[in-house]
Amino acid sequence: MPDLVLILAVDLGMRHPRALTALMAFAMGYAVDAFSGVELGLNALLLTVVFIFAYWLSRVLISASTAVGVMAVFVGVVFSDVGNYLISSGLAPADRLHVLMPAVLIQAAVTALLTPSVFQITGWGARMVGLRMHGASR
Amino acid sequence: MKGSFLWRNRVVFTTGLLLLIALHFLSTGVRPEARANKPSLVLMEAVKPLLVVESQMADDASDFLHNYFDLVSVHQENLRLEQQVAQLEGQQRRMVELEAENRHLADLLELRDALDTTAIAANVIGSDATGLSRTLMLSEGDRQGLRRDMAVISINGVVGKLIAVSHDAARVLLVSDHNSALDAFDQRSRARGIVAGVVEDGLAMKYVDRSEDIKPGDMIVTSGLDGIFPRGLLVGTVARVSKERPGLFLNVEVKAAVDFRELEQVMILTTRVPAPSVQNNG
Repeated sequence: MPDLVLILAVDLGMRHPRALTALMAFAMGYAVDAFSGVELGLNALLLTVVFIFAYWLSRVLISASTAVGVMAVFVGVVFSDVGNYLISSGLAPADRLHVLMPAVLIQAAVTALLTPSVFQITGWGARMVGLRMHGASR
Repeated sequence: MKGSFLWRNRVVFTTGLLLLIALHFLSTGVRPEARANKPSLVLMEAVKPLLVVESQMADDASDFLHNYFDLVSVHQENLRLEQQVAQLEGQQRRMVELEAENRHLADLLELRDALDTTAIAANVIGSDATGLSRTLMLSEGDRQGLRRDMAVISINGVVGKLIAVSHDAARVLLVSDHNSALDAFDQRSRARGIVAGVVEDGLAMKYVDRSEDIKPGDMIVTSGLDGIFPRGLLVGTVARVSKERPGLFLNVEVKAAVDFRELEQVMILTTRVPAPSVQNNG
């Protein structure tokens, strides 16, 4: 299943890096925690970190293109899934991570493939409401 | 204020603060129901209409797909059943045909028993294609015991006699052929004559004395004097009697008892019938 929430967090971090959008990324993570029944704060933390990573990319790169966004999403999904597993299991059984990795990589690939389409949709939406985007993606 | 350090780095400070809050939530570990319930309940209520619509759409899509696949399988089932019905109808027609053939053969058997003679049943497999002579082909031959000049009859009456026999087939010269000649008499008046085919169609009874009493409707039967046909087999009925042509004899037209065009099974009398002793007409 592609992680659409994470794609949005990366999009917010790369193309709309504001305090408000940071709060939105946090809120999205919190909502996922509230619905999924995991420990409160887990996805809020991870999505905020992903947002920070995307924000950092937008600051260091001259132009944050869609390709960069795709890579950021891929890395973000891997980080989020591994972090989710490690924190949920109390950082203990890291030796079983190799069993999890194939599924994580597949999810990361699927989510990354979907990224350009989601970026396109959010770009249309932003233009419709008159939002200015940072680091235009060509 | 806008130019201050805090304002310029507001994103960093905000995300840092949010991280601290998230870590604080995590560090408390357990999920106290009082804290988790309210936000999750609010979110649930907010998302519920969307979930209802999504669920409905998923159900509709699923129903549509199921109905489509059901229709496809119903169509295929329909084709299969149509083929089956056609096969069954064909079988039923064959059964009806077999039933009719069975009845004919049973009637022929009955006739054979009544005649008290040996006989062989045969199917009519062909007729003369040229139309110049009136003959039939039969499905039995000398391997089944047939010989030339054996009498051929049906349940309705006299058909003809065998004129050619091969291993597995035989040819019958019908009484309606102009080359055929059959000794017969009027069952009512006992008037005798020779029944032969006429070129145009039908039968004629020849050499009937002008003084004889023959009327339309009289039945003409075999006399048995030719040694081929047993006595008393129906040849036909008198259709017309006329004395128009001059001469010693009547013109008697006879309608054959057998419809040669619809013959399917016949019986061949394999026992030669002894000719009855000649009796004076009294």
